[in-house]
Amino acid sequence: MSHWLLTETLHLSEALLLAEGLPGWREVLLCRSFWAILLGGLAVWLLLPNRIAYGKTLGGVLGIIGAGLFAADWPLLGNWTDQGVFWLLALITIGAAASTICSRSPVYSAIWFALSILGTAGLFFYNGAQFLGVATVVVYAGAIVVTFLFVIMLAQPAGHSDYDRITWGWFPKTFSVLTAAVFVGLLTMLLGNLKTAAEAPVEPAALAAAAERLEQPGGVLNSAHMANVGKHLFTEHLISVELAGTLLLAALVGAVAMAIQGKPRLATQIEEALR
Amino acid sequence: MNELSLLYNYLAVGGILFALGLIGFLVRRNMIVMFLCAEMMLQGVSVSLIGFGRYHGSLAAAGIASAGQAEWSQAAGPWGGQMLVIFIITVAACEAGIAMALVLMLARRSGSLDAAFWQDLREEGQPAFVDQEVPEERTEDRVWPVLTPAGVRPESDPDQLLHRPRV
Repeated sequence: MSHWLLTETLHLSEALLLAEGLPGWREVLLCRSFWAILLGGLAVWLLLPNRIAYGKTLGGVLGIIGAGLFAADWPLLGNWTDQGVFWLLALITIGAAASTICSRSPVYSAIWFALSILGTAGLFFYNGAQFLGVATVVVYAGAIVVTFLFVIMLAQPAGHSDYDRITWGWFPKTFSVLTAAVFVGLLTMLLGNLKTAAEAPVEPAALAAAAERLEQPGGVLNSAHMANVGKHLFTEHLISVELAGTLLLAALVGAVAMAIQGKPRLATQIEEALR
Repeated sequence: MNELSLLYNYLAVGGILFALGLIGFLVRRNMIVMFLCAEMMLQGVSVSLIGFGRYHGSLAAAGIASAGQAEWSQAAGPWGGQMLVIFIITVAACEAGIAMALVLMLARRSGSLDAAFWQDLREEGQPAFVDQEVPEERTEDRVWPVLTPAGVRPESDPDQLLHRPRV
């Protein structure tokens, strides 16, 4: 291991992230997040396309309870206005994301996905990433989702179809929900130390110092945000910008090549038509 | 604002978004919904990266140090997350373009967006996937949205309805 990695790992802020030991089963059973993930997984399982009686109602109620339990276990931001705005944005993002994967109609899926993207853009704005918030709305909600809707309407004019109302069967469904629940659970468990540190009382002076550092020239919340984004993008990441441009060009050529695949050239078509 | 709490909350939201995208990708059969779910996983990662960037910005005095390479890279710390998200968005746009061309070609050949149509690509010796239950279309699924009539119905010539004046 390099010296750099070692010093980085020993840095206090990085060491805070990972919990030291595994929690006992009693701790797990008393944890609100555990029950929240259990209820949320069950809710998604019930809401996914299937033929369970009252699946939607039951899944919705369980999902709301699970989301409330989970949010109650997160450390507070300090200010109730900040907290309310964050909860609203997180609710829009996650609720719309859950609706995306549970909608029977792909058109509704795409529209819910656009709402989820708008929630994500709000989260970006809230965290001081103004340019990325705007770029997400323009690129995702403005271009990608519209392209998706175009393709849905081109490829599936009949609307409701069988395969949207069923899944691959109960076994893949159950196990993918289980995998995702275990993923979120492990993440929550590993971030235990971070949560303990976040719930410890902080002096107002430290909070003010952090806010001041964010607003300094070069900080994320400084008013010269775009200038800073440009500076870092076109100095340190210049080669990556060139590579990203090349990638976009390659994708463009690839998409056109795929779309006209197997068709004769236009001149040949005209010659054949005139013959 | 408590920056540690903010970081925790953003990591949790990012993790949940990633998990929901994972479920959707594995469970849904519509190829377009599968790609939407892939984009959702990318969004989850982006949310986490933005949270990390903000947290690093609150830790270090950024951008003031200009002498020396080490200080320069330290000053760039808070912006690393946002730079990475810019490239994630670029790659996602490329992916969406290619994926849409592919899905359109596949849908033109098979006539549907069902991923199970292409199960001939499975390995030799694997049993074929057969649907256990295909639900019947319910009556409420057959109802299509209708536009409410607005204004006065225009007078129409019954002769003109029967033949078109020009072709």
